[in-house]
Amino acid sequence: MSTLRNVAIVGFAQLPVVARDEHRISTEMLYPVVRQALADCGVERDAIDYQIAGSVDYMDGRPFGFVSALDVMGSWPPRQDLHLEMDAAFCAYYAWLRMQTGDCDSALVVGHGKTSEGEPDRVLNLQLDPYYQAPIGLDPTSSCALQASAYMARTGATDTDLAAIAARNRAAGARNSDNQVRSAASATELQKTPWAVEPLRKGYLPPVGESATCMILAAEGKAEKLCDRPVWIHGTDHRTEMQTLGARDLSRSASAKLAGEKALAMAGLSRASDADVVELYATTPVEELIVCEALGLDAKAARPVINPSGGPLCAHPIMSTGLVRMGEIFRQLSGRAGDRAVANARRGIAHAMQGHCLQQNLVWVLGTERRWS
Amino acid sequence: MKRPVAVVGVGQTHHTTRRSDVNIAGLVREAVDLALRDAGLEHKDIDAIVIGKAPDMLEGVAQPEQFLASAVGAHMKPMLRVHTAGSVGASTALTAVTHVASGLYDRVLTIAFEKQSEGNAMWALSPNMPFVAPLVAGAGGFFAPYCRAYIAKTNCPPHIGPMVAANARDNATRNEYAHLREPMTVDDVLNSPMLWDPIRFGETCPSSDGAIAMVVASEATAKKGPRKPAWIKSGYSYAEAMWVPGRDQVSPRAGRVCSQAVYDKAGITDPWNQIDVAEIYVPFAWFEPMWLENLGFCAVGEGWKIVDRGEQKFGAHLPINPSGGVLCSNPIGASGMIRLGEAALQVMGRAGAHQVEGAKTALGHAYGGGAQYFAMWIVSSEL
Repeated sequence: MSTLRNVAIVGFAQLPVVARDEHRISTEMLYPVVRQALADCGVERDAIDYQIAGSVDYMDGRPFGFVSALDVMGSWPPRQDLHLEMDAAFCAYYAWLRMQTGDCDSALVVGHGKTSEGEPDRVLNLQLDPYYQAPIGLDPTSSCALQASAYMARTGATDTDLAAIAARNRAAGARNSDNQVRSAASATELQKTPWAVEPLRKGYLPPVGESATCMILAAEGKAEKLCDRPVWIHGTDHRTEMQTLGARDLSRSASAKLAGEKALAMAGLSRASDADVVELYATTPVEELIVCEALGLDAKAARPVINPSGGPLCAHPIMSTGLVRMGEIFRQLSGRAGDRAVANARRGIAHAMQGHCLQQNLVWVLGTERRWS
Repeated sequence: MKRPVAVVGVGQTHHTTRRSDVNIAGLVREAVDLALRDAGLEHKDIDAIVIGKAPDMLEGVAQPEQFLASAVGAHMKPMLRVHTAGSVGASTALTAVTHVASGLYDRVLTIAFEKQSEGNAMWALSPNMPFVAPLVAGAGGFFAPYCRAYIAKTNCPPHIGPMVAANARDNATRNEYAHLREPMTVDDVLNSPMLWDPIRFGETCPSSDGAIAMVVASEATAKKGPRKPAWIKSGYSYAEAMWVPGRDQVSPRAGRVCSQAVYDKAGITDPWNQIDVAEIYVPFAWFEPMWLENLGFCAVGEGWKIVDRGEQKFGAHLPINPSGGVLCSNPIGASGMIRLGEAALQVMGRAGAHQVEGAKTALGHAYGGGAQYFAMWIVSSEL
């Protein structure tokens, strides 16, 4: 592992998440965050070596939705470029990997998705295999409910446990002006919300919204010049599981567990609880509990602080939700988290996922100090 | 790149109008099994998966790699999904190369596919975009003006497109995997219906079902394999913005920058004489002379003269698309990777009846978007 290069997050910008931005198409939403992230680092676009975008055509309701992002990413003169049909956190992974080859020293990573162009539940149903699973009409809520049932049956977790997790996220999220939902709600209130799909209540589900995000990564030597407090990547890994819901133990996340173990090993950490702050891409309280278990975290412990941003239960900008988790840890560890700052935070974990029932999981271990000397 | 990377296995399906004997997963699995067998490897030997295809709307499945995870052997492995329009197959393979070059992975399986018979590409490629006049004419309608501009700029005579098409059809007769294996003469092409002026039916790629997979590996693991590997000397993907005033759509700057980057890295100063064979992305015949210029094989305005003299034919100075190319097989998302895979097979000496004798250095190339995305590699028989 000593052959790995130190790479840091040096800039991050996002638009506040809204249900529907009526005044801007997706490229117009992306433009200001690209400019802001560059301005925050004090660099000209020409000084960034690589660019990568994350989006899903189906979410924009058209093919090649990412092509127009080239214009606002400043792709002139031509840039070394890639697009992944994935959450932008996976794009950050590839940018990091690319920097490991020594071919480039900095990267611009963007995520964009205009969910209001279509019906996200119907789009996400189309992620399922078209022969057996998609035709029965599963959407994220119903597949999350299957997962919740499996988890509650195995562990004995109750509706009250789920409400407590949701209430903690909602209380934290009230302090985050980028959130779509900015009101606290008590566990009791949330337990009074009606079933979405039993055992999940409406109060335990994320608001789906749209945003645009931009992160700038830089390798050692350049990172310190671009940012007074860069946040260093200590370890990362991602894993996939088969999709078939009936063939997996939905009450656990084997892929999150393996990705977590690999990322922690790369970071030289023996356990995730050594982190000070954690941001999880959990769209339900049950996903939060399952990922915590997979990573070896106690969702009820005071430290590390989990989802001080409010997490996806307060803002779920599809295609950026994972990158926002990284961005939040960057804010926490670089002193940009304002009144939601976790005291003395020096090490954090960011998690991203995609697919039904946590099919693909990505884990980042981040810190204020360079990992390798 | 931090360390050398090689292609150690290639597997492709027969490309055809409709593979009704397999579903999408079956089609993809066929290529994966062939590539693994070719590399003498099993799924357990693979460290990561990189998969690519063109717009999801072509088959109607959003992020289909997720349902294909078991078919490609991605369970509990890292998997990334690439989409860079028509260039996607090539940029997918390059993404796999980065995985190995980084030092973090030793053997990576990369896959690209399209099962066009599952949907309707004309519909999927004819969206009503904000602020753009709807063409409702698919890729041919989009690119016809580019071809007209090339003809106008270079005084290219009208028989050049038909010559390219007839040559591609002739080449494809030697490629057992090609979709269109019926020869066409220049007159046949000239007599075929005009679809989007100046593009005739005979100058147009087919809609194909097909998949390709490759295994790329580090130097040490490549040397252990049963086959002589194809060494990747260089590979880059570049893209450029659409709405740049004065953007040259006939010879896009991204294509010139990208080819220069791969030549520089591979030590190529005279591509016309140093490259033995090239597989380039020609979905409509007129793009062949355009890319000959854009790739620096000749001066601007000279590309059609190479075609006119037949110097790009099989057995001539620089064979272009000895496989028959995209004009004879176009499973869109796979087509770019097929170009790179064919280039690798050529320098491995395993291209079958369309092998270019003594090929040591080959170019694989693809483009996509509004001629905005370019991805290419140079492969060599020598490390």
